[in-house]
Amino acid sequence: MPTAEEKFVDVACWSCAAPVVHAQLFCASCGKVQPAHSGADYFEVFGLSRKLAIDTTSLEREFYRLSRRLHPDVYTRASEQEQNWSLRNASLLNDAYRTLKEPIARTEYFLRLEGVEIQEEGKQASDRKNPSRVPDDLLEEVFELNMQLEEMRMTRKTGDDDPDLRQDLLTAKQQFEAQLAETDNFIQQLWQERDEALASNFDFGDQIKQRMVAALDRRRYIRNLVRDVNETLDT
Amino acid sequence: MSYSDKVIDHYNNPRNVGQMDKSSSEVGTGLVGAPECGDVMRLQIKVNPETQVIEEAKFKTFGCGSAIASSSLATEWVKGKTVEEALTIKNTDIVKELALPPVKIHCSVLAEDAIRAAIGDWKKKNGVAETADYVSTVATN
Repeated sequence: MPTAEEKFVDVACWSCAAPVVHAQLFCASCGKVQPAHSGADYFEVFGLSRKLAIDTTSLEREFYRLSRRLHPDVYTRASEQEQNWSLRNASLLNDAYRTLKEPIARTEYFLRLEGVEIQEEGKQASDRKNPSRVPDDLLEEVFELNMQLEEMRMTRKTGDDDPDLRQDLLTAKQQFEAQLAETDNFIQQLWQERDEALASNFDFGDQIKQRMVAALDRRRYIRNLVRDVNETLDT
Repeated sequence: MSYSDKVIDHYNNPRNVGQMDKSSSEVGTGLVGAPECGDVMRLQIKVNPETQVIEEAKFKTFGCGSAIASSSLATEWVKGKTVEEALTIKNTDIVKELALPPVKIHCSVLAEDAIRAAIGDWKKKNGVAETADYVSTVATN
């Protein structure tokens, strides 16, 4: 995957030879579909700079606009090569849109683009140079929650229910969900900080990125707790 | 991946599961966790104020077999040791004893952290200075 430092050399449009910026789906000059590079930067696909605060309404509008231009019906009389390119670009555009429209997916994608190591689903903690820790402020609550979950599982195993305990777990779940929302807000706040840092050319980007990684870890952790409560109560 | 016999033994017959009075001045409590696997570990020690020997150790761990085995083993090992001796227990010792595979090394790290956290808590309660110097001397020798 390309890093921020790598600059792409513009290529020439296959049809009119006008310069085409890397990852653009169409030639700006003649409008012909272009062979998009595999591994193209999703931000560039949408003609966006690598900023995290994105107006998702205009992103959606742009997605539909480009999708229409890539629709197979448009290429029924085009060359086979153009048909292939349009299909590949449509698939690239879909991936790019799905990733960028979701705040968390966008943040994770951004960090990977910038070469930051982040935890991925199914990977083990030991694969990472700096395995993260449960946020200290959560430990007591998490331990207590686990105790309650264990008790609830035992109760349910015997076919019983414990309405009081169930209520406690639901309350705990609500608290964790509120913390999840807080973490989401915090991540968006970090977007602003990073975008502003980029605009001012002031380089504390790495520090912000590490805070993003920590916030994503925290989010994933809380999300798993909420999932555990749901599984214990519903299955 | 399969668990070693020792892990399975500790998992099936965990030693020293339980809880001690957190508010007692003789008891140190360490609570640690790893977000990737969701493991949380509580390890408690009871220290003789005269001899500084750890006379009792209890744990409660929510996590995989390796995490339970690592903390179970940790309680066995700290018992009978002085606080300073217990600080020399390294996660690599736990890895060796339990034959943990590389993907489970973080469980042993968690157990070592739990020992340190429990001792740190006991020291704080009893006004004993942290012995970071001692630990780093041992590591460099």
